[in-house]
Order: sequence, then structure tokens, then C-alpha cells
Amino acid sequence: MSERLDETARKALDSACSHVAEAGDADAVDGVGASLVARPADTAEAAEVLRAASGHGLAVVPRGRGTKMTWGRPPRRVDVVLDLSAMDQVVDHAAGDLIVEAQAGTTLADVQAVVAQAGQRLAIDETVPGASVGGTLATATSGPGRVAFGTARDLLIGVTVVRADGVVARAGGRVVKNVAGYDLGKLVIGSFGTLAVLTQAVFRLHPLPAARRFVSVPVADPAAAHAATQAVIHAQVVPAAVEVDWPSEGTGTLTVELQGIPEGVSGRTTTTLGLLGGEASADDDPPPGWASYPWSLEARGDARDTALKLTFAISGLPDVLSAARSVDVPLTLRGSAGAGVVYGSVPAEADDTALSAALDRLREVCARHGGSVVVLDAAAGVKQALDTWGPVPGLDLMRRVKEQFDPDHRLAPARFVGGI
Amino acid sequence: MSGTHGTSATSGPTPDPVPPEVTRSTGQPGENPEGVAAVARLARRLLGDEDSVITERSRLRTYECDGLAHYRVTPALVVIPETTDQVAAIIGACAEHRVPYVARGSGTGLSGGALPRADGVLIVTSRMRRVREVRRADQRAVVEPGVINLDVTRAATPEGYYYAPDPSSQQICSIGGNLAENSGGAHCLKYGFTTNHVVGAELVTPDGEVVELGGLAPDAPGYDLLGTVVGSEGTLGLVTAATVRLVRAPEQVRTVLAGFGSTDEAGAATSAIIAAGIVPAAIEMMDALAIEAAEAAVHCNYPQGAGAVLVVELDGAAVEVEHEYAGVERLCRDNGAFELRVATDAAERALIWKGRKSAFAAVGRISPDYIVQDGVIPRTALPEVLRAIADLSRESGVRVANVFHAGDGNLHPLVLFDDSVEGAGEAAEKVSGAILDLCIGHGGSITGEHGVGIDKAAYMPKMFGDDDLDTMQLVRCAFDPEGISNPGKVFPTPRLCGEVPGRRKGAHPLQEAGLGEVF
Amino acid sequence: MSATDEQRTGAPVDLGVPAPGGAFDEHRPPDPALVGDCVHCGFCLPTCPTYVLWGEEMDSPRGRIYLMKEGLEGEPMTEAMVEHWDRCLGCMACVTACPSGVQYDRLIEATRAQVERRHDRTARDRALRGLIFALFPHPRRLRLLRGPLRGVQRARLDRLLRRTGLLERLSPQLAAMEGLAPRLGRTERLPDSVPAQGQRRAVVGMLTGCVQREFFPGVNAATARVLAAEGCEVVIPRQQGCCGALSAHNGREPEAQAYARGLIDAFESAGVDFVVVNAAGCGSTMKEYADLLADDPAYAGRAEAFATRVRDVSEILAELGTVAPRHRLDISVAYHDACHLGHAQGIRTQPRALLREIPGLEVREIAEAELCCGSAGIYNILNPEPARELGDRKAANIVATGAELLVTANPGCLMQVASAIGRSGHPMGMAHTVEVLDASIRGISADDLIRSHQER
Repeated sequence: MSERLDETARKALDSACSHVAEAGDADAVDGVGASLVARPADTAEAAEVLRAASGHGLAVVPRGRGTKMTWGRPPRRVDVVLDLSAMDQVVDHAAGDLIVEAQAGTTLADVQAVVAQAGQRLAIDETVPGASVGGTLATATSGPGRVAFGTARDLLIGVTVVRADGVVARAGGRVVKNVAGYDLGKLVIGSFGTLAVLTQAVFRLHPLPAARRFVSVPVADPAAAHAATQAVIHAQVVPAAVEVDWPSEGTGTLTVELQGIPEGVSGRTTTTLGLLGGEASADDDPPPGWASYPWSLEARGDARDTALKLTFAISGLPDVLSAARSVDVPLTLRGSAGAGVVYGSVPAEADDTALSAALDRLREVCARHGGSVVVLDAAAGVKQALDTWGPVPGLDLMRRVKEQFDPDHRLAPARFVGGI
Repeated sequence: MSGTHGTSATSGPTPDPVPPEVTRSTGQPGENPEGVAAVARLARRLLGDEDSVITERSRLRTYECDGLAHYRVTPALVVIPETTDQVAAIIGACAEHRVPYVARGSGTGLSGGALPRADGVLIVTSRMRRVREVRRADQRAVVEPGVINLDVTRAATPEGYYYAPDPSSQQICSIGGNLAENSGGAHCLKYGFTTNHVVGAELVTPDGEVVELGGLAPDAPGYDLLGTVVGSEGTLGLVTAATVRLVRAPEQVRTVLAGFGSTDEAGAATSAIIAAGIVPAAIEMMDALAIEAAEAAVHCNYPQGAGAVLVVELDGAAVEVEHEYAGVERLCRDNGAFELRVATDAAERALIWKGRKSAFAAVGRISPDYIVQDGVIPRTALPEVLRAIADLSRESGVRVANVFHAGDGNLHPLVLFDDSVEGAGEAAEKVSGAILDLCIGHGGSITGEHGVGIDKAAYMPKMFGDDDLDTMQLVRCAFDPEGISNPGKVFPTPRLCGEVPGRRKGAHPLQEAGLGEVF
Repeated sequence: MSATDEQRTGAPVDLGVPAPGGAFDEHRPPDPALVGDCVHCGFCLPTCPTYVLWGEEMDSPRGRIYLMKEGLEGEPMTEAMVEHWDRCLGCMACVTACPSGVQYDRLIEATRAQVERRHDRTARDRALRGLIFALFPHPRRLRLLRGPLRGVQRARLDRLLRRTGLLERLSPQLAAMEGLAPRLGRTERLPDSVPAQGQRRAVVGMLTGCVQREFFPGVNAATARVLAAEGCEVVIPRQQGCCGALSAHNGREPEAQAYARGLIDAFESAGVDFVVVNAAGCGSTMKEYADLLADDPAYAGRAEAFATRVRDVSEILAELGTVAPRHRLDISVAYHDACHLGHAQGIRTQPRALLREIPGLEVREIAEAELCCGSAGIYNILNPEPARELGDRKAANIVATGAELLVTANPGCLMQVASAIGRSGHPMGMAHTVEVLDASIRGISADDLIRSHQER
């Protein structure tokens, strides 16, 4: 693989970064082999790597902890994997200001461990174990907590990025309230590394709750799930999460998480139990699978489940749940009924044609409710056969943004929407 | 010049012209008359009557300024469209004829963001004011840009919901303007800003195309262009409809007024409240001078002899509010509060808020002229920065009243002066600028909610390096390569798209300030 | 500043005096210092009826003040300026809303006087305005209007009417008036004085007004009864004329001053503690007599003394405290703040408090309460379209309260809202505050009260 890189390019990278290694099989990005792995120690070194790559026309794919390297579409080319795992420091935790600043390669778990010492948390669910700050932002993952705290875009207040040409830029800042300049952080979140490499991020924090309770109720049909969701979101129980579990067949479950002080949680638990009817029950622990995606994390290569993200207006829930049962592939859904985002999993062995039809059907239903369906991950053959990103409004504008930031299309080329 | 200028009854203001350094950002009258005429012709065809296409001078002049009346530029043309298609056609014509345009909602902005171009079109959205939908089941509303902020809440109230961002001008500021400025408000401490509450937008791009960004469902695939557009101060296009999140009206609201001997004590109480894990909906502070002004204007009857007051508002489930209130009360007393008052109903709440919300205009009662600043600092730096402001004030002899969102460190120092006194304006400007420097020096921001606009563009290089600004410019060039959408705002030196940015030499400004490698 | 700046921004001047060649001359121009008070915050915009209707800066208080500022800076008085000033209803909701205390009321009144003196109106406009002022301030001529067109003809106003289109414009009001006339019966002449019941607590003079006297005589009678029941000796000077409110609000300064002098004369000789008014528009003007006659050495002092004695009827009742027992009235009422009571005089709590004192009575608030109903003196005649739109908007908000009776304190509002409510197809009763108090004191039942005030 590495033969593709000429000697001058290699030399340039070697002098740009103290840790440059030959790429191995494990460094392939969604099946596309890489030549080199550069592991910068800090933003400056990352900038040098990108500058060198820019000088030699090398394609670069950033990597945090490598937990979602198969998400999106396979890149067109990978010359350099920019491995940010050495940038793993929580740079600053200003507890009194409720902010934390971390390098991109820091795991979410490490960030949580640091801020928890002051009774605080970064309100982003670790939906993929071991994920880094950078990777979480690049893929915009979210979990149950989005009902109460929003997603990464609502918590990120400052970014440092390195552009494709190696220029280091920042936007936002270290204060929660700030409207000076464009919010580049928003642009980078969910961009799959195609615009710039995020090297450092500042987040706002929340206090850790003193108590948590989970109220679950079986939901026999989509209408029941809808009724339960609506009852909870319009009530005064201030849910932290409203999750639905919708297996490919049989009864589903709706779970409401309540957070706060023990007295308050206890009262709201009682109210929620009342809203959800006799079959509801409360627990101190989350149900199995909480804050995780419904697909297998162990499977590799062609054994991978097809991983979907479905979005819809909240009232579209019953139609989406019904559609899930109407398709000819086994489809398990799990996600935030209270936010209009559920994740779906179809087993790897499902029939390609049926899967394609299912995707069309789900897209039609979600689109009717203002949303979309994205195939986040799937076996190579499946990805090849499907329009994984689906229709993307505003794509032309997005291409223009890409053109400005990465005119040579060297950052994670083709991983993103519309071949960006 | 920077900051919002006001004047009070005691003296008529001498309207200052647009400072020379700003003129290149606002165009020259009479430039491209054929282009303006072409846009006017099209607008007349689309909009008809003379009340919608304004060319008469005395009428045009009423649009010279927004809420920051210090800067004034007569637009070449004002149009008041009613539909997205009309806006798209007008902007399309602007693009075709290379006529710059500026969008304006209610004209209440405090950074001159809606300052017209002398060679351009002012597109006023005040007639696009339909609340298209209130969707309770989805907790969303779809509104047009001219809808008044408070009217969104009014429309949602029957459903038990409200629109959370509440800038002080919420009774008149428009949603379109809120989107442009990413407006905050007293309650954004808990609920976030406009950007956290806008989930979809119909955007007319600077080439006149209509693009749907986001919508009723979250997480639209692709780049988060919506998040980029919100807060871009009208430089990336004009939003003709917004889908906003509605928030369930809380079960209980409790507003506490606490009197302290000093701002140090009040600041310490604020920090203690946050440290205790309490996230109030709002924590607002006023110092003695601001209290004096509010008393003069609205007789709000704040605690006698207070060196500072805090207004703390708690909302949420009843049990939590009670519990948090107990905490707030204790922490205020522990930190020196000598008087605490609690409002339990709407009337009592209104009374407490009256003093705070009238503070800006009220300052006019104790000083002929004033500048409002909008700097932000990390909350923990509050006591230090307030002392530094006091020092600045003492050394310069310029009085500074402080009113601010203490919870999130957003300061609104009111720098008082009398323009009829020789040199007073300059002295006030100097203090005002020094306060911004203080904010930047503490790792804060030059604007927390008023926006950069025309007013603080010159301060952007103090907060951001050339590379930062160049990178932002890339976004600008993607959306508006011709630079016709509100040109001259936000960025100090508009660069032509396609120009290769010069590589920056030397250290980042913050590095020089000793604040780390990259902020 | 450079020459180019000057071209672009107009010529800013020290706003001490009007710039030569500008819209205003030196005789009482809008006060530059008051214009300077406006910080351009825009808080007045949502309360301004014309801004709410049209969404134009020039048709907002902020815009109108800006036009005055332009005029003071040297811009000539343009048709456009006059049009936008003319469109102001003078409701003064902006004065209430302004956090900086801008005295827009004084500014627009001064501006209107300048317009009347310095601006050439069209013949048609002049004729219409002339007719209105030949009619409204004159109770006897107004009375002729009550007995429909014959009276108009007899007054030789018919040709004028046709030429001005006044007839079409007046017709909704005429219809409303005709509707109420039979039920109200004939205009009763009020006695010259009514003794206080029980202990005498004050001697008050009562203004009978022009429109009030002719179209709502019941209101005057009720006012006298309530005041007497509350221990006031009520003096009703026979020779009193118009208060001049309509003239003052429309820039007819000399005419307004003449009326003011007449009224001061009439009440001075009556020797009363207070001058009580039941028409909000009249009251607000009478409270401003000191300003109106400030330049008249013979009357300035007397005007000031007079103005301090003026009270709205709800104001005096609240001030004295009520003593007459109230009978139960099981009724829901929607209370409409007349602009000249709420915005101009700041009287909002007193009428509500008086109404709430009545056992069984429920006061309901009307949405968009601060917004004018579109009556605004003679505005609905001069600007029928916006007035109609505002009236319909107000009617919809009133109907939405579900109240059985609309209560307000100004004859103009009553006429305007009556025709709007009539159009809405949701008939409801309408009464002046004092008529409700009167009914409660006299023990009239809610049903009778509603029936006698149906569809005014």
C-alpha cells in the first residue's frame, strides 16, 4: 500500500510529525487501505501534517479512537490516517465556569471522569464505547439525553480546527455566551472529517443529577407508543429522556428517564407511572441497551448489521414504528421517541433487494414527517447497492462549502453526502 | 466607536455621522444607480404600491438606523415583501445587478447589523409575520421572520408551551433578527440561545435560491448549514421562515430579589449557586448605580442601600423549584444578602423584573448619554473584572453602571457621559474599549448577544487571529461569493472571495496575551 | 464629519431650533429636546395600531418622530411626512410603552398644529375636515344628525356631504346611532345641579360633552346619579361648550384654544372642587390645558389651575372611595381601556377596581388590550379603512372573551366598537363604566342592564 506514496511526500510527513508509521490492515478506513499513520502530539503538529499533505496532494482521514471508521461511505483514497489518539488530554476544566476543554483524541469517558470530580458531566451519551471527543463530534452521535440537553451542537462552545491547507483556526471561545463571528463548530459537527480536522473542543457542562429513575411501560402497538410519548412530553414531569425500544416483532418498550433531586424525582416518577398506566414500572437502573445503538458492535466486515438513523417530527412516531413492521427485513428500532430520532438495525444476512425496498419505504414515511433515513454503516456490498445518505436538501450549498475548505477534496474524500 | 449609544431627556443629542472608517463598509450613495433602479422596477412589479417599494427620501430616511441609532445610512431603496417568492425574486435581482442588500426585521438590533447600504436595498421583513403553524404534538412552531418574538410565545401559550429565548426587546424584536443575531436573553442561562431553539429554516441564498435547512425533524443529513446561518448576522442569506422548538411552560416559577452590600458579595453568591449544582433559569445582577437609575425611572423599590442586587429565577417542577429556592436563599444569605424577596405570582414577578428590564433606558434618567457594552467573561472572573471596571472608572472619572446576566458572565456595562462636555464622549469610548479589552484578556468575548454588526467589527481582530477570520471568510465565500448579503458587517476587512489568504506571521493574539497555545 | 457623510445622512444639526427651510417654523415646533429623548429602541412599535396594520417604519411612533427629526434637521415638509403623521390615531399607546419617557403626545400635537398651518391640503381633504369641525364640537348640530338625513339636509350639509363622501363614512355610525336611539329614548335635559346624597363629600362640576350628550345621554344621567350617590354635589354649568379635544388632536390649535378658554370660563364661575369628565378624550385634553394655553398670559395661570382639578369619573370615585352600597350584578364584562383613559391619563386600575367592587361581577381582560379600536376621535371618518380593520380586530378580541357586556369609558370607542361588533355577527351589550355602577347602585338586574344596552 505504502508504495503509492513517493519518497518526498514521506519525508515531508516524517519531518512534520514525530510519530509517523506505516499503515497496517487495522488502519484501513471502511476497507480502503491507508499508506501512513501520522500521530501528532498537538495541534501544531497536526497542522504540520496537513500542510505536508497539502504540499503533496495527499488524502487524509482523521481518526480519534477508531470506533466508527466504517461509518459513512468508504473514502475514495487514504494516504494518511491522521491519528489523534495521542492528543488525549483534558486541557482545562473550569468547574466554576461549567466548561471543559479537551483534545480531540480524549475519550468521552476520560472527560467524564475528570469533570465528575466536581460533580459535573458533559451531557453527551457515550453511545459507542471508547469513542473520542473528536469522533463523537465528527459523526454527531447522540443518545437518550438529547431530550433534555440537546446534542453536541448544543454543548460545543469553542473549537480549534486545522484546515486542509494546514492553517489552524478557532471559532467560538471559552464562554458559553458568545456571538462573535461564525459558529464554525456547528459546521464541523457531523461533517465526518471532510471540512477540517478538529483538534480541540470546549464544551459547556451540567451538574450531575443527584438521582435518576427509569419508568418503563410495554407498548403493544405504535399507537400505544405514541400515546405514551405524547402523555409524557406534554406533562410536567420534565423528562430527561423518552426512549422507545421497538424490536422487529412483539411488544416494544417506552422508557422515561427522570433526573434531579431525590424528592423531585420520586414525585415525578409517581406522576409518570400514573401517566403510563398500570403496566408501567419504575427502576433505579436503566433498561438493557440504554444509550446504545441496536446493532452489534462486535461484527466486522461483511458480518456488520446495517445501521440506520431515522429522523421524524415527534408526531411521526406511530407511522415510523408501523413502517418498521411493514418492511420485509427484520428491523429493530431504538431511540428517542421524545426527540424524533431512532436508530435501526437490520441483520447482515438480510436480503439486499428487500433491504433496498425497506429503505425506500422508511424514507418515504420519514420524509412525510419532515425527516430522513441515513444508512450509517453496512457491509461493503450493501453500501455499494444503496444510496446511503439519501436525498440531502441544500446539497449544492454544502458542495460550495466543501469547495472553499478543501478545494482538492483531500479530507476524507467521498465519505460524506453527495460524494463530498 | 463601539457600544450602543443612548441619550436622555436632559439634552438633545448631536447625531454623530457614520465614522469615516465605517464608510467603506456602507457604500456610497449613487453607486450603481441602474442596478438599484432595476431592482426597484422588479419590486414594483411584484409588490405594487408605493407603501411596499419606498424611494421617497423622507420615507427612506426613517430606515437610516436600527436600535443603534448612532450609525445612520440612508438606503437607496427599501422594499417590504410579504412572501418567500418575492424575497427570492428581489434577491435574485440584487445578485443579477450586483446590488448589495441588508435585511431588517423590527430594527431593534444594538450593533448596527441592519444598518443599510447607501448603494443598496433594505429588505424589511415586518410584513412577513404569519405564525404558519403551531404543532403541539411536535413541540414546534413554524413562523415567518417578521413575527415578533413574544408573539411566538403568545401563539404557543394556549397549548401550554412557550418560546424560550427572551431578549429584553422580546416584545418587538423579530424572529428573523433573532436568528441573524443568535439572540439570547435573561433565561438563556438554562435554556440556551436562539441557535438551540431553531431547528429549521427556509433560506433565500444570496443568489436568490430558496433552500430548506433542517425542519420539523432533527439532525438533517449533511453539514449543519442551519447552525452556521443562525448568528451569521444576515451575511449568509435571508431566512424567510423558521421552525422553532417550543418549550413546555414550567409548572412553577419563583423569582427572588436579593440585596447585597457589594457586587463582590453578589458575585460570590452567584458562583456559590452554580457550584451547588443549581441551574436557575436566570441570574441577573445590577450594581448601585444601575439600581439608582432604575429607581429613578420605574420606582421598582429595590432593597434600600443595596450595593448590588441579584434577580434569581427558578423554574421547573414544583418540588425541585422549592428545593432549589431553599438553596438559593441559604447561599445568598451566606454570602451577605441582607434582604430577600420572593415573587410567587405574575404580578410580583413583573415588579421584580421591571427594574431590571427597564435598566438600559432608565440610565438615560441619570446621564444624558451612555454606551451599552456587551462583553462576556468567564463567570468566575466576575469579581475581578468588576473591580477592574471600577478602577477604570475611578481613574478616568467616567461613571459606569453595571447591569448584567451574571449567570453566564455576560456584562452590560453602561458607560455614562455627557456629550455636551468637551472630550467626554472620547473618554467614555476609551473606557468602553478598555472594558472590551478586559473581557478579551479574560478569555471572554466582545459580544454575548448584541452581535458584531458594524459596531464591533473593528474589535474582531482583537479576539480572533487572521487565520480564524480567514476561515470564517471561507464560509462567507461559499454562501455569498459576490459579497452582496449585508456586506461590511461582522468582519473588519471584507476580502474578495477567491483571494488567497496571506499566511499569518507571528503569534496568535491570545498566545501573546499568555492564554495558551490555541485558546 | 466629511461632506460625503453629510450627503448620506442628511444634515445633522444641533437640534436646538428648527433648521431654516425645514418642515417647521419657530412657532411651537415639535420640541427638539423631546425628539432627542427617543433612543430608537422600537418598544413603541408593537403597540402602534398603524404599525401593527402595515408594518412600516414611517407609520410607527419611532418613524413619525424620525420624520419630525428630519424636519427639524432641515428636510422640507413633504406630502409623505404629512400622510404618515395624519395616519397617527393619537391613541398614545406608545407613550405608555416607551421606557425612555418620550412625550410623543406633545410631539404629535405640535407637529399637527404646524401641518395645519403650513401644509396645503387638497380641497377635498379640507372640505371634509371643515365639515367635521362644523359638526362634532356642536351638540345642537349633532342632534340634527340623530334624526337622520332630514336634519343633515336642514343644516344644508347635504351637498358638502356628497362632495366629501362623509355620508358613506359616517353610515356605520349612523346606523348604530339609529339602532340605539329608540331604546334610549329622548335626550333628557339634566338639571343645573344635583344634590349630594348623604353627607356631602365634594362639589364637582360635570362636563356633558358633545357626542356624549347627544348620542349617549344615559351616560351623563348615570354619571350624575352615581356621583350624587357617592356624596358629590354635582354642578352642571348650562353654558358649557366643547372642550376642544378633537381640534387639539387634529392640529387646529387656535380653535382648540378658544374652546378651552370658554370651558375654563364656564367652570370657574361654578366654584367647584373638581371638574368631572366621563369621556376619556375630553378628560385627557382638559388635563393638558396648561400646555395648550401656555402662551396666553391671560389664561395660562387659570388653565393650570383648571387642569389640576380635572378628574375622570372613575378617578374621582376611586379617589374619594365609594360609600354607596352596591347591589349584586351577576354578569361578566370585558373591560376595554379607552386609549385616552389608559394611555393618555394612565387610568387603568381605577375602573377595574370599581367594577370588581360590584358583587357578582367578573371583569375579563381583552387580548391586545393596548391596541386602539380605531375610533380615535374622528380618525375613523378620516381614515375609514384602517379604522375598520382595527375595529374588526378589536371586536374579535372582545367577542373572544365570551363576556356578556362590553364596558368602556369613551363615546368614540363605544360607537366604533358597536359598528365592529355589529359586523362580527356576535351581538353583545355595551355600556359605559358609570352605567354599570349606576345599575348596581340602583339595583337593576344584570338582564335588564344587558337588554337596555344591547347592540349599541
